Amino acid sequence: MKKLYFSILLAVVTLQLAAQTKLTVAVAANMQYTMQELKAEFNKTDKTTIDVVVGASGKLTQQIQHGAPFDIFISADKEYPQKLADNHLTLEPPKVYAQGLLVLWSVKPAIQPAKDLKLLLGSTIKSIAIANPQTAPYGSAAEFILKKYALYDKVSAKLVTGESISQTSQFIATQNADIGFTAKSVVISTEMKGKGKWVELNASDYPPIEQSAVLLKHAKQSNEAAARKFYNFLYSTKAKAIYNKFGYIVK
Amino acid sequence: MIELAPLWLTLKLALSTTLILFIIAVPLANWLTGDKNIFKVIVQAIVSMPLVLPPTVIGFYLLLAFSPGNAFGKWLEEWFNIRLVFSFSGLLIASVIYSLPFMVHPIHSGLSSLSPSLKEASYSLGKTKWQTLMKVLLPNIKPSLLTAIVLTFAHTVGEFGVVLMIGGNMPGKTRTASIAIYDEVDAYHYYNANVYAGILLALSFVILLILYTFNRKMQQAKFY
Repeated sequence: MKKLYFSILLAVVTLQLAAQTKLTVAVAANMQYTMQELKAEFNKTDKTTIDVVVGASGKLTQQIQHGAPFDIFISADKEYPQKLADNHLTLEPPKVYAQGLLVLWSVKPAIQPAKDLKLLLGSTIKSIAIANPQTAPYGSAAEFILKKYALYDKVSAKLVTGESISQTSQFIATQNADIGFTAKSVVISTEMKGKGKWVELNASDYPPIEQSAVLLKHAKQSNEAAARKFYNFLYSTKAKAIYNKFGYIVK
Repeated sequence: MIELAPLWLTLKLALSTTLILFIIAVPLANWLTGDKNIFKVIVQAIVSMPLVLPPTVIGFYLLLAFSPGNAFGKWLEEWFNIRLVFSFSGLLIASVIYSLPFMVHPIHSGLSSLSPSLKEASYSLGKTKWQTLMKVLLPNIKPSLLTAIVLTFAHTVGEFGVVLMIGGNMPGKTRTASIAIYDEVDAYHYYNANVYAGILLALSFVILLILYTFNRKMQQAKFY
């Protein structure tokens, strides 16, 4: 028994926690599917392994502030990356890569999404999915638009909050929510294409969702050259074509 | 495309946690078994805390402690160049804390159920406390040891809340199987989620099956 005890002790002490050098990119949930394609395109010419961590922009920002080892942060807005820049956690100021669009989406056959949001008041709609406005820029855009048309208080009892735009989309896709607000890039992704009906909301009704990316200080510790290369790729013509394909507005 | 990395990571985390906890829990449980005093009662309460605390509470405090922006995390980073938050080591520490009662309780109750005459006989034959523990007491509570090991392993495999809060979902480092399932469901990759979930389901069943089979055999072999 004593022998066993010490051999276990030895095994634990010698346990190797291997450190790897590769790029880790924090990606806003709305960019999840777009990122798969960006990665594939980038890896055609460069074999750097890119690990993707998906989450709500606000949550990822929080994690970066707590020291998460991300090299690049691809946000769904301008404010969160700016916050990191203000806290001296970035190598450069953030830059906008694309503008996102908000859609209203439903997979329930009986529900027809419309630009006129008054339909949300109807009795056939019992639950409306929205991303957490505190952490997800698409959520705060949806909240803005509901408040603008003085509908927020009337529908607040029906709101179901997803913690990121991907969880929100999952609520809608599984029909656990009757209808909901999500990103255009989600509804036209391969995963969701052809599921239900969606309508693009008037872009003038909410503050533009200017999606920005930023190079983080952590890149200095991992592989700055590789990180820079991928970061620059995000602003290349090839990447822009991909944003276009996924329904973003590119300038 | 299904990746096996989350499963391996879960296995690595669960095995490491179990090993570390076994080493900590045996002396701890043995110490708790002796005469009761107020200090031991307090330690016992602390050991049991993770049973009743929401995982998010543990996760929240560890996040604060590990963060390089705060005193403890800063000290670790400046003195040892270690950053625990969003790392495997951090996850390991969290798991050890989180699964502590699952290892200590079965061993403690196993030791408490032994007749004091076993210990006394060993002492009167000139064995030290350590020899008595290793050669007399532990071999007599094998079913309890097995239960402790299996429960700790299984509990770590099933860990979610703590990992979600301090893990950061890093592939190959902190994305365990339970987090991967959550992630794949969000991404609407139900096939992948199904594969992970199915493997965990089968694993849990097999683990419990082994536990009960062995415990039955050992019960039958008991002769005292």
